[in-house]
Amino acid sequence: MTDIDRVLRDNARVSLPDDGFTTRVMGSLPPVAAMPRSWIHPALVIGSAALGCVLAVVLAPAGGSVLQGFADLTQLKAFTPAAFTALGIGIALLVSALVIAIETD
Amino acid sequence: MPPAASPSDAELILAVLERDDRRAFAELVQRHQSQVRTVLRRLARGDTALADDLAQETFVLAWRNLSRFRFEARFSTWLYRIAFNAWQTEARRKHEVLLDLDDDAPLPGPEGAHEMPDIAARVDLERAMAELSDGERAAISACYYADLSHEEAAAALGMPLGTVKTHILRAKAKLRARLGKDKP
Repeated sequence: MTDIDRVLRDNARVSLPDDGFTTRVMGSLPPVAAMPRSWIHPALVIGSAALGCVLAVVLAPAGGSVLQGFADLTQLKAFTPAAFTALGIGIALLVSALVIAIETD
Repeated sequence: MPPAASPSDAELILAVLERDDRRAFAELVQRHQSQVRTVLRRLARGDTALADDLAQETFVLAWRNLSRFRFEARFSTWLYRIAFNAWQTEARRKHEVLLDLDDDAPLPGPEGAHEMPDIAARVDLERAMAELSDGERAAISACYYADLSHEEAAAALGMPLGTVKTHILRAKAKLRARLGKDKP
């Protein structure tokens, strides 16, 4: 180690007293309520998707026959009212899953 | 009964991320404030008020972005990167020329390359540091005061590795010459 290396290393070792610095930093942090909670966004997305599913079931011409819609889809009958309801529910769930996946990433 | 071991930086960071634990973050600030403030004082040419403002901004930014810390590097290295960015932003705001290489500037001659007494060197060191170029001061601050490797300093400062090494060589030569010249 050269002379100037030693001088720089010695100077770097000098410790600064806190002198209230930590208190000032903690006082300038955003309030707790402003911190984003990890579960709020997924809960909102899943809640919206569930509401969409319920509306699809209630408002669709197929009424409560969602299971019939899925059965129609498995038989490639995509243009029945029940199949439209099932498709709507499936798309709502898929979109919510994609939104959650993107936000988690 | 042996005293409980203090938690590591990683454990404190996890406490902040999982429980918004402010006491854990305060512990991190207390641990690293001295080095971060010292580095920024060197960068700010001894302007302690500006350095402390930038240090405060550094820790607030660290708090806001802690979820982006990947645990691959040391926490201190990540903090210095934020500190250097804060300093560069402030310097740009003041329209200063930053991180210049000064390729054409000649290296100081060997007349200062002799051994110098410790006390005199320490007394004049800060003044001599203030006379370095921004790039040289940043490189010296990163490698000596922040204790980063040349590679870590290059990443933190956003400079090529060769530029960091050149800055270090030039800065040390200038400091040696300056401190040697001041010797009675």
